[in-house]
Amino acid sequence: MIHRMTFTTWLAIAMLTAVFLLITIVPWLSGYAPYKQDLASGLLLPFERLENGQLSVFGTDSLGRDILSRMALAGRVSLFIGLSAVAVSMVVGVVLGLLAGYFRGWTETVIMGFADLQLSIPRVLLLIAVTAMLGSTVVNLMILLGLTSWVAYGRVARAMSLSLREREFVLSAITQGATPAWNIRKHLLPNVLPQMVIVGSFELGQIIVLEAALSYLGLGIQPPLPSWGLMISEGQSYLEINPWLSVLPGLALFMLVAGVQFLTQSLTAEGEDERSLTVRTV
Amino acid sequence: MAGFLTRRLLQSLLTLLGVLTATFFLVRLAGDPTTLLLPVEATPDEIATFRTALGLDRPLPVQYVKFLTHALEGDFGISLRQRTPALELVLERLPATFELALTSFILGLALAFAVGVSVRLSGSARLRTFVMWIALARQAIPVFWFGLLLILLFSVTLRWLPSLGRGGITHLILPAITLSTYEVALYLRLFNSSLATEAKQDYVRTAFAKGQSRSQVLIKHMLPNALLPLVTIAGINLGLLLGGTVVTETVFSWPGVGRLIVQSVSQRDYPVIIAGVFVVCLIFMMINLIIDLLYAYLDPRVRLA
Repeated sequence: MIHRMTFTTWLAIAMLTAVFLLITIVPWLSGYAPYKQDLASGLLLPFERLENGQLSVFGTDSLGRDILSRMALAGRVSLFIGLSAVAVSMVVGVVLGLLAGYFRGWTETVIMGFADLQLSIPRVLLLIAVTAMLGSTVVNLMILLGLTSWVAYGRVARAMSLSLREREFVLSAITQGATPAWNIRKHLLPNVLPQMVIVGSFELGQIIVLEAALSYLGLGIQPPLPSWGLMISEGQSYLEINPWLSVLPGLALFMLVAGVQFLTQSLTAEGEDERSLTVRTV
Repeated sequence: MAGFLTRRLLQSLLTLLGVLTATFFLVRLAGDPTTLLLPVEATPDEIATFRTALGLDRPLPVQYVKFLTHALEGDFGISLRQRTPALELVLERLPATFELALTSFILGLALAFAVGVSVRLSGSARLRTFVMWIALARQAIPVFWFGLLLILLFSVTLRWLPSLGRGGITHLILPAITLSTYEVALYLRLFNSSLATEAKQDYVRTAFAKGQSRSQVLIKHMLPNALLPLVTIAGINLGLLLGGTVVTETVFSWPGVGRLIVQSVSQRDYPVIIAGVFVVCLIFMMINLIIDLLYAYLDPRVRLA
């Protein structure tokens, strides 16, 4: 068991390092040009040479744009949106969850009813509907992905604060005149935060896949900004000629998501976390 | 049981109302419906008639009530592209989605059960670790990329199977594999963990002490207990599958509801989007309701709580 966990951990670290290098080192390379079109050198296979003799490591797309450069930029965009969306959903989820658990009564009924309502719509569908109506800019995507994902945090935060508020240190603070706001901030929040970080790390992978799926459907990140999902979809038309156009961005997406998933899996004790079993990517 | 049923039904109705309300305000939030619902080349005169026809000149609460009553009658307006009732278009696509979702669901559940039980029966911890590891890896592969790799292998390279559209059984194979392997991975991990929990129970030790064999203990004693959580998750998942085949349908150009919704989004065909989302939510809710009732029937603690 120990042996397997270390292997998974190493694998996860290797995959994450590869993605990290891709998005940090590549923009410093001399050939970095995610937007530069060169129609004469379109659809090059990996390691073919451009018209001007320059080596193209990952090949080029139909407009002659460098795949490696685009993948690096797309990775930055994905990670940025993913992390921001997780932050948004964590803040919303923790606040609503703590309020529901601390105040009980109608506050809890309203908040949890809203959570149930949101869960009654499949998340992809909800996102499709919302982005269709409100448009999908990077900021919109961050906020919408965040707002549609707070329930996971909210439920855990509520469940934890339900038991926390009965504990002596909270009760004694109440008897000494502590306001709810103070109690929630000083006593509840620090106790739920570690668990929230775990939920967040499970969510990060899912959010990144969701964003990629939306972009694949053409409802996420809009061109000319590159995104792995969009690149996979653009490459699908050229599967016969140059399958790498879709395979490489997908591989990067897989390495990032699997890396995050495997790492969280091996860091939180196996079997302890049922949540990891029921997570659902798109 | 009657009390539980009423409470649960009421809850479903409230959710439905919530979905409709959210849709109504989302559309209003998105801007003036006339600019959304009419083609760009509409004249001011046409816009004015359209506003009166839709009742947009009336106060918002009146519009809201009208929207609700129409929706409950199944009237979501006319598709802007096809010029047919939006709901009809959605219902036309339902069989395709059902076909794909149900095939993947049954295939996934059956495979997970077969693999899960045989891995347990083999008694090899190494084999179990290996299988679980594969399941974990499959879960991390986004469906659209997995589907694409299948197309690349079986349609482009080997030329064994068609990659697009719906037709005979051959068209169904690739999308069904894409979805069901994900289901297998999910159920397998869940099944494995619930079997592992059961294996630690006292009754298992007692059964072994009586001299029963591994297969007897597993099939007679552990399986009935380990299957209950699987049933719950499987039920929720069936609902998710029916609504969540959106991406897979797009990858394989499968003419289901999901693809219709995505196409309608790019064509800005709002009545169809709304009708599609509503129908999927309705199905999702009905399945959840049935599972809850089933669960209450199977486990008295639920309905008495």
